[in-house]
Amino acid sequence: MTRSLQGAAVAGIGRTAFVRKSGRTPASMAAEAARAALADCGLTPADVDGFTCFDTGDFARPSQVAHAIGVEDLGWSLSVFGGGNIVTSTVTGAATAVLSGQAEVVVVYRTLGSQTRYGKALGTVEVDGEAQFGGPQGYLVPPQWFAMYCRRHQYEYNSTSEDLGVIAVQERTHASRNPHAVARSPITIGDYLNGRWINEPFRVFDCAYEVDGAVAIVVTSAERAADLPHKPVYLLGAADSNRFGGSIDQWDDLTCMYSRDAAPRLWSRTGLKPSDIDVACMYDCFTFTVMATFEDFGFCGKGEVGDFFREGRATYGGDVVVNPHGGLLSEGYIHGLNHHYEAVLQLRGEAGDRQVTGAETALVTSGAGPFGGALVYGTDRL
Amino acid sequence: MTHALSIPPQPVPDADTAPFWEATAADRLAMCRCQSCGLWLQPPLDRCRACASPTAFQDVAGTGTVYSFIVQRQPSVPGYLDKVPYVVGLVELDEQRGLRLPARIIGVDPADMSCGMRVRAELTGLPGGDFRVPVFRPIGAS
Repeated sequence: MTRSLQGAAVAGIGRTAFVRKSGRTPASMAAEAARAALADCGLTPADVDGFTCFDTGDFARPSQVAHAIGVEDLGWSLSVFGGGNIVTSTVTGAATAVLSGQAEVVVVYRTLGSQTRYGKALGTVEVDGEAQFGGPQGYLVPPQWFAMYCRRHQYEYNSTSEDLGVIAVQERTHASRNPHAVARSPITIGDYLNGRWINEPFRVFDCAYEVDGAVAIVVTSAERAADLPHKPVYLLGAADSNRFGGSIDQWDDLTCMYSRDAAPRLWSRTGLKPSDIDVACMYDCFTFTVMATFEDFGFCGKGEVGDFFREGRATYGGDVVVNPHGGLLSEGYIHGLNHHYEAVLQLRGEAGDRQVTGAETALVTSGAGPFGGALVYGTDRL
Repeated sequence: MTHALSIPPQPVPDADTAPFWEATAADRLAMCRCQSCGLWLQPPLDRCRACASPTAFQDVAGTGTVYSFIVQRQPSVPGYLDKVPYVVGLVELDEQRGLRLPARIIGVDPADMSCGMRVRAELTGLPGGDFRVPVFRPIGAS
């Protein structure tokens, strides 16, 4: 008996508009994305028996969203607590539910409304758990945590603001060809450097563009997917890593991330290597997340990301196309599930003006700091 | 009545963290340590993660090294909206490699900050309640 994710595939994808202020509930947007994903693959709510999501902040429960679109009897329902760190586990959880016969058709979704903005914590009056140590010091939100990582990387490897900036500039250039992206006006490295400071060493363009919206993908068996309208996009393999109990501050080496451990595990499980990847949807809550994880996945060495991007090796015509949709920085922050949407679109060859020619494999990473994971999708099974 | 945004986030101690705050209230900096194998544990645990023995809080020297730091420019956290710019460091305490506390670094121009800077803790009152928190000052600075 083989142990593999390759019996599962993504058959459908759906999403809402990504906007700054929707005036809608998270449940409403999740329902719209789920309906769109099912319509995309020619299925109806009556065909769905599984729903799963991950959440921190804004959310809508799987049972609630399933009910909202007319599912009468949901056989498998799983809500996972977490953010970017848990996206891979949530998607592979759906796949394993399918592979083990717990469900036949699973909708995986993430929904975010205007009640959640991770960049500021202006409503916070009390902090428990590990946050009780940093919060009272004025140290409470993700841009601060990962700027702390970035500073250490700059200290040890002499990476620079310009190295971060080239990531932000390129993602924006990619987003300019993506009608769904919320930020499409090109920026220059000068614009990046003139951007206002958030917390040094991060400027405004280092940070994800937070929006309201929802994304859903439909995971089913490869056999079932083969009978549906689109060519199946197979799950080739995945790997996660969690260390230090998820403690941002206690993680041992701030110049790298969870990917230090997840990457070799992923390459070992799939037999693939960085040069086999056509599209890399790198989780980019911040520019530095791309930098650290790109190094960890082995696309280049420590401190080499800036040159790699400047030489055009991370865009069309280069070694690998990083975030052709513009990523969380420019398409919008749907907590990384939009990276899965983009990967599927690229592997179907349906990405329009931003299509990566001949794309057959896509790496999708998720998470930052001490925990996260990655998944490889392919047009064909290994 | 003070506006909520003017007060920094207040700690909510639990059974494992309460001794930390009891120590700071008494003007001491104490960290959680395994009473059997000697491992320091942050965040605190009631049992050692390595050997499962009981832990206790023990005073530390209060000296350490800045492992990394940020300079906060945008008002993002209540109680600090009118305090920007300020410096937050991840201070690695001398007691154990990797034993870190996030804390403000005071008495230094942000432009003079660097990784590797030696610092010493002092306790200061947290506005909005009775808690005291550790902050760090460069060793040698007045």
